[in-house]
Amino acid sequence: MLNRLLDRIEEGLITFLIGAATLVIFFAVVHRFLSGVPFIQDYTVKMDVSWAQELCIFMFVWMAKFGAAYGVRTGIHVGVDVIIRKLTGTPQKMLVLFGLFAGALFTGVVCALGSNFVWHMAHTDQVSADLEMPMWIVYLCVPLGTGLMCYRFLQVAWSYWHTGELPHHDHGHVEGIEDVGPLAVPSEQELKGAR
Amino acid sequence: MHAAIIFVLLIVLMLTGMPISISLGLTVLTFLFTMTDVPVASVALKLFTGIEKFEIMAIPFFILAGNLLTHGGVARRMIRFATSMLGHYHGGLGLAGVLACALFAAVSGSSPACVVAIGSVILPAMVRQGFPKNFGAGVITTSGALGILIPPSIAMVMYSVSTNVSVGTMFIAGIVPGVAMATALGLTTWYIARKNDYPRMPKANWGERWTAFKESAWGLMLIVVVMGGIYSGIFTPTEAAAMAAVYAFVVTVFIYKDMPLKRIPKVLLDSASMSAMLLYIITNAVLFSFLMTSENIPQAMADWLIGQGFGPIAFLLVVNILLLMAGNVMEPSSIILIMAPILFPVAIKLGIDPIHFGILIVVNMEVGMCHPPVGLNLYVASGITKMGISELTVAVWPWLLTMLAFLVVVTYWPGLSLWLPHLLGK
Repeated sequence: MLNRLLDRIEEGLITFLIGAATLVIFFAVVHRFLSGVPFIQDYTVKMDVSWAQELCIFMFVWMAKFGAAYGVRTGIHVGVDVIIRKLTGTPQKMLVLFGLFAGALFTGVVCALGSNFVWHMAHTDQVSADLEMPMWIVYLCVPLGTGLMCYRFLQVAWSYWHTGELPHHDHGHVEGIEDVGPLAVPSEQELKGAR
Repeated sequence: MHAAIIFVLLIVLMLTGMPISISLGLTVLTFLFTMTDVPVASVALKLFTGIEKFEIMAIPFFILAGNLLTHGGVARRMIRFATSMLGHYHGGLGLAGVLACALFAAVSGSSPACVVAIGSVILPAMVRQGFPKNFGAGVITTSGALGILIPPSIAMVMYSVSTNVSVGTMFIAGIVPGVAMATALGLTTWYIARKNDYPRMPKANWGERWTAFKESAWGLMLIVVVMGGIYSGIFTPTEAAAMAAVYAFVVTVFIYKDMPLKRIPKVLLDSASMSAMLLYIITNAVLFSFLMTSENIPQAMADWLIGQGFGPIAFLLVVNILLLMAGNVMEPSSIILIMAPILFPVAIKLGIDPIHFGILIVVNMEVGMCHPPVGLNLYVASGITKMGISELTVAVWPWLLTMLAFLVVVTYWPGLSLWLPHLLGK
């Protein structure tokens, strides 16, 4: 139940961030473009969008951290699998679990380092250049995102141990392609008939 | 000595099959905790600042734009236009496939996306016209690789990020080699089709061509928006990417009406997770190259190579072999992010142009995408055609040889890559 809620929040957050970042940059460009037009110029001048670039970067850094956690759950992180595919049975299972625990270890360490770093930063009054946002809030994505990623690695390891199945991302699959009908070209028979 | 430890550790960790990003990160952490006195705190800072560059943000935008276009009927209209132009030559639909891939490559930055978008429409049509399955699969698998050579290209953004070469210049430099390679692949297709007398289509008249062009114009306009915008200096590459995403959204949802609005969140989610995966590799690769630089490894390697009497010609040969070998086990983004920062300083010392070097790496990556065991294009094509990987490997051979020959040309003829950027004064 709690896991389901966490999944939804994670998905919702990264979907929102990529969409919003696109719009932010779009409006910043439109704004700059309109600033060159007389009449409208007078209105655009009152709006300051110099922060757009910074906001976009922050949004994408957040998206990257939480998206990486989502990626563990969907199996999108690729590795070199030449050896794993050659193995079978217990050795294969052990190696896969080793990989998953290594992931959990790395993200765990980064989460700890990050928490420490954010903790110290929170005691300074550093703010970002354009948005003047407290930097520790911006950097909060590292302990939060990586912590979640660590949790996801353990989750995947747990379910692999019990079911023997790994989440697998199919890079060749794109949704929506199936409902496109066939291309309207003459068939082999029609071509022969035309000759 | 340190260099050897780092590389052995990295390779061993990678071979266990854990994600490449994790093996990079663990290598750095292990090394830092055990062998150096670089303060760990400075690494913590790198973890945050690794991807805080506006240029990198072009990657998620291009992925989003590419996904929107793949879903929609933009590819389909491009195929129709390409068919009306080239359908009457030998191997009609095959040639049209090459052209359509080249056109789609000019609006999309990734090469598997190209294979999916063009392949899933044109391959069934080719089978219907009586082309052998492996001919169609061979054409599309290899032509799809144009996706990363013809700008915009995610691989080029990766190279620019790791070497500080201008993204815009890389894009412009990719145009001529891209067109040349499309021509080479087209000629290979034509030659095979003529030898085996594959079906041709009735010649379209100019009226039909004009209609097909008009229909695909909304998609083709994107080329103008992106390349024109970057070259004329209206947009930075990242802004152009964001504009491309918004434009692709408007075209697929409102103009072509190929996708209902309710599908958008799913597309956003897929693009976000794909981008996050790449950004995560970048973060850790930045960490890794920080370690390399602080240990002075690229410089030491450069000095050693020059001390051994390596000239540019021998060096480029070694680079090609190294990259092709890496292409056997890793996917392109990781290879570029790991190798480029190491090889780049050497190339500069030997007087190789950074842009030329970048194009060479990108062409190498293209070859890597088309042969097993990790050629992503092969897997994508196998998903569409339901052919096995070994069967496909045989099918792509003629085109793969063309690509290798082209790689040699790109390697030893810098003018091909540098002519256009120099002409435009970049």
